Amino acid sequence: MDKGLLAYLLIPLLSAVIIPFAARNRPKLADILANVTLLAGLANLAWLALRPSIIRGEFADIPGDGFSLLLVAAVYLVALCVTFFSAWFIEEGLPNRSAYYSLILVSVSAMCGVVTTTDFFTLYVFIEVLAVTSFALITTDESGAGLEGALKYFFLTFPASALIIIGIAVMLMSLGSLSFESLRFFMASDLPAGPVTFGAALMLLGFIIKAGVVPFHTWAPDAYQGAYAPVSAHLAGIVTKVSGVYAIIKMATLLRFFDGRAQALSEMLMFLGLLSIAVGALAALKQTNLKRMLAFSSISQVGYIVLAAGLGTPLAIMGAIFHLINHATFKTVLFLNSASVEKSAGTTDMDKLGGLEHTMPWTSWTSIVALLSTAGVPPLSGFWSKLIIILALWEAGLKGYAVLALLFSIVTLAYFMMMQKKVFFGKKTPAAESSPEVCAPLLAPVVLMSGLIVALGLLFPYFYVYVKMVAERILL
Amino acid sequence: MSNFAMEWYLIAIIVFTGFYCMLASRSIVRQLIGLEIVSKGAMLAVISAGALTGNLVFAQALVLTMIVIEVVVVAAGLALLVKNFRVHGSADIWKLDGLKG
Repeated sequence: MDKGLLAYLLIPLLSAVIIPFAARNRPKLADILANVTLLAGLANLAWLALRPSIIRGEFADIPGDGFSLLLVAAVYLVALCVTFFSAWFIEEGLPNRSAYYSLILVSVSAMCGVVTTTDFFTLYVFIEVLAVTSFALITTDESGAGLEGALKYFFLTFPASALIIIGIAVMLMSLGSLSFESLRFFMASDLPAGPVTFGAALMLLGFIIKAGVVPFHTWAPDAYQGAYAPVSAHLAGIVTKVSGVYAIIKMATLLRFFDGRAQALSEMLMFLGLLSIAVGALAALKQTNLKRMLAFSSISQVGYIVLAAGLGTPLAIMGAIFHLINHATFKTVLFLNSASVEKSAGTTDMDKLGGLEHTMPWTSWTSIVALLSTAGVPPLSGFWSKLIIILALWEAGLKGYAVLALLFSIVTLAYFMMMQKKVFFGKKTPAAESSPEVCAPLLAPVVLMSGLIVALGLLFPYFYVYVKMVAERILL
Repeated sequence: MSNFAMEWYLIAIIVFTGFYCMLASRSIVRQLIGLEIVSKGAMLAVISAGALTGNLVFAQALVLTMIVIEVVVVAAGLALLVKNFRVHGSADIWKLDGLKG
């Protein structure tokens, strides 16, 4: 455990315990406590990483490996957007506010645990805590759809946990220890890697299921579609990315894919990544429900991250980390916008929607920024991360993979343009006539995230220095 | 055949029994039982690994923690099952097809 970042785990947990007692008779207090906790954490993180002296020193004084810090910041940012949005989104009485915020804060602290841990067993523990809070959060509004999504999530993540345990057992037997460092040293040595790689492969399989990579993706669209609207932003934006994709990137760096000792695993991961990109993008083309389409798009974007992690060269790891952060920003915007559309027009069925740009201009424009970033249009942040990933593939001599990744980036643009046309452009439908723009507090998180997308794209050189430092530290 | 190989033979059988139970049954409750069997096999694997490498104390600590976590996960899962039965009135996994696309 990285001790410097332990406070970011403990304070939300404390707050989660306090909220049900403090807010028993004053439901508004739950909103305030949750938001203040997360905002204070974010301010603290900004001071830690963005002081002028740190920026001038090219981020060399960052504690830990920098990767944890970056992800803790992403977790806090997405969770803050979600809680701020929920404070105005939740209707009176339903659901139980204090339980909802407690669960969000517990999931934040579990995610901080996942990203700061330094051994596989603690990783497993925190991932389970995260999974349990996710089941409860998906069923927040107690609808049939939410229950169905949660059950499907449950029946796929539980076997994944069993596979991770078996992987831990094999690793305990062949390596004798479960810390990340011992695996890194082992892979750097000349000892035969067979059993250790087998254990790592079992664990990777578990993480792949939890990340929703293609042959095991079936839970993801159901869980995201069925979940309570702000919760789907929380889940798609950060929860499944931390519980699955973060662990995959971490394993990729620990197994040292770039020096070719786990060649088979690396190739397998790259193939599954490309398959996810293709299947996610093609399935998203023919969806009629907005949230379900965004879920398939999320699967497709996870594919890019897994593809880059499977390649494992420093440049590719950089691209994977950068795309992980970008994914958190643009997918949060899109899912929160779908929640706004649901609140205002009462449906997320794209065939019933149309012409919302006249009545909901802010929602429409922030969606455009986010979707252009997802599709990789310069100068938005998504362009740089995809560029790095494709460059890394080209540099490694995998020209076929690079070309296909580029082609499916165009498909991404196609399905998002169709979505934008059906929902926001065109003629007004009956559902759109009576749907006013949502109130300003609901727009604030979305506008903040869109600003961040533009800022990350324009201030790319600074961010590049940071991500380069992270990739060098975690690969050494 | 050594003791150790026997243990892992048993573990493999238990895990595959669990997965077969999941594949063959339609009832959600039976599926959960199948999952439980899989995870018991996994825990047996941890204890066996600890015994083999002389790390039994460490392995016991791991397994105790895993049992505690599993209790929480199963409690959450059972809550979902009960709620699902109240809402949909059936425990058939093939009737969970409200979300499609």
